[in-house]
Amino acid sequence: MNSVSSKIKNISNLEYKEKKFEYWGPTPDESRKLMVNKSHALKDKTMTLKDAVAKHVRNGINLGIGGFVNTRVPVAIIHEIIRHGATDLTLSFQSNSICPELLAGAMILDPDRVSIKRVELAWWGYEIIGIAPMVRYLATNGIIEMDDYTNYGMSVRFKAASMGIPFIPVRDHGGSDMELVNRGKMIECPFTGKNVYLLPACHPDVGIVHTSAADVYGNARIFGAYCTCPEIAMAANATIMTTEKIIPTENIRSYPNLTEIPFPVVDTVTEVQYGAYPGASYGNYWFDMDHLKMFRSICEDFRKTGSKDALKKYYDEYIFGCENHDDFIDKIGYKTIKKLRDMDGGQPIILT
Amino acid sequence: MSEYTPFEMIAFTGSRILEDEKIVFVGTGLPIIAAMHAQLTHAPNLYMIYEAGSLAPILDMGMPLSVGDTRAARKACYLKGLCGAFELTQRGCADYAFIGGAQVDMYGNICSTIEGKNYDKPGIRFPGSGGAGAMAANCEKTIAIMALEKRRFVKKLDFVTSIGFGDGSPDYREKAGVMGSGPYRIITNQALFGFDEETRRMSLLEVKPGRTPADIQELVDFELVIPPDVKDMVEPTDEDLRLLRDVIDAEGYFLKRVIKK
Repeated sequence: MNSVSSKIKNISNLEYKEKKFEYWGPTPDESRKLMVNKSHALKDKTMTLKDAVAKHVRNGINLGIGGFVNTRVPVAIIHEIIRHGATDLTLSFQSNSICPELLAGAMILDPDRVSIKRVELAWWGYEIIGIAPMVRYLATNGIIEMDDYTNYGMSVRFKAASMGIPFIPVRDHGGSDMELVNRGKMIECPFTGKNVYLLPACHPDVGIVHTSAADVYGNARIFGAYCTCPEIAMAANATIMTTEKIIPTENIRSYPNLTEIPFPVVDTVTEVQYGAYPGASYGNYWFDMDHLKMFRSICEDFRKTGSKDALKKYYDEYIFGCENHDDFIDKIGYKTIKKLRDMDGGQPIILT
Repeated sequence: MSEYTPFEMIAFTGSRILEDEKIVFVGTGLPIIAAMHAQLTHAPNLYMIYEAGSLAPILDMGMPLSVGDTRAARKACYLKGLCGAFELTQRGCADYAFIGGAQVDMYGNICSTIEGKNYDKPGIRFPGSGGAGAMAANCEKTIAIMALEKRRFVKKLDFVTSIGFGDGSPDYREKAGVMGSGPYRIITNQALFGFDEETRRMSLLEVKPGRTPADIQELVDFELVIPPDVKDMVEPTDEDLRLLRDVIDAEGYFLKRVIKK
């Protein structure tokens, strides 16, 4: 038990069960060992997404999801994981919309194919488009276990893992109910003598990220907000990366400062144009509000009526009816993609 | 003077509060609109932080629809990720947090995680803290938008997501390990609230013209501090409304939303 705490218990109204501390994925020591034993060769890591997912995604893993809400979300990888199947998942992310919703929908359709056990997160929703119906359904009914942090908290937990340290001190969470329910801990700072909150590092078994450009070795550039993609890639035992464009290593070496994810932490690279669709990718395309609304309303109908028909139709059409992401984008069609490219407005990115 | 909607009043009031040459860490929706309005009127040198990672963007492609919108990165001075944005805050560069929430109590603590008492099986699960918990902890002053209803201005929160003054004790925030000075303003369409310096309790600063402090107290479940000099809220001019409706949120994404009961 904590010997030090804030005064949250003076105001908390909450009933919750005490959790015994454990890392919800690899421990820092396990993750270090794995990274040391990995090949650090500068070798071509390109493969199909199907092969990448088959190689790294197994039942029971902690899946770290990159992007932020509707931006640079690794949708192509999520579709492939759903086709491949993975049960008993722990999800870790800061804020996301369609990625966990897609996994949750797959779980509702066939829990033997995809299932989520628990989620360590800051936020799960669509922002302007509305609440996320699947998390409301699953969490409200106590079907999945939740572990709440702030956006900084989750981001910096990946960062601690990326730094190879077991925890990190932060100046938030304390004095809120998150202090009671999450796996952080209040201590007295050995230097200032004041209370400071510690968060455990978060090492996913598999990190999934979509980047703006990368070479075949996995050296990646990100334009627009980084979100927490560099930290997730660095923290994960294995990183599956999709990228809008594979660029020559020569270009990477011309501007090495632009590399946000270095090759040793990347396990597979797949060029997938529109790999974040219906999310946005800065410099390439804006998010598709209509498609997100359409999928959300299907999920909301399930939540309200319990009928899975429309949900099943969506998955049959857009996920199981597609071999890969190109097939999915084919179904979306040129006009929509063109509109989203125009909406992005050609934000400047550097590929040379 | 033209008619204005509750959302327009909130956005305009938010704008009034923001000072020039400050940095505001904005949440999605009305906080962005308020900050854009301030930039176009009295605070041209007000800068925004967006939590996906941008500082001081120039929003010449239009209003970002969310804090993760790629448009929020447009022509920023500094563009990193969430760690970068929140570390600016933790370091002391963000003057204001501008957030929303589902419930608030008399000490400005805010809930946006669950409704109901049981964390493991709540009555309703909300999206969660997102950035709000970190913003309320470490931006210097917290501004929050809330609908003025008794079920939202409550005696006790179901879940404290974003720290305010806690139980009101002078060292609550220090014991919590957070650094910002805490709640500053709560904005609703009918009243503007501040916090009493001595007791740290929510106090009534301004009411919508035509309303009395007693009308406002009726809509709040705890006892407000009501000083003798409660002022009338300033109403938006035609020019303010033109900026809000035709320039900032011309598509009506936030200002034309229908309020759900």
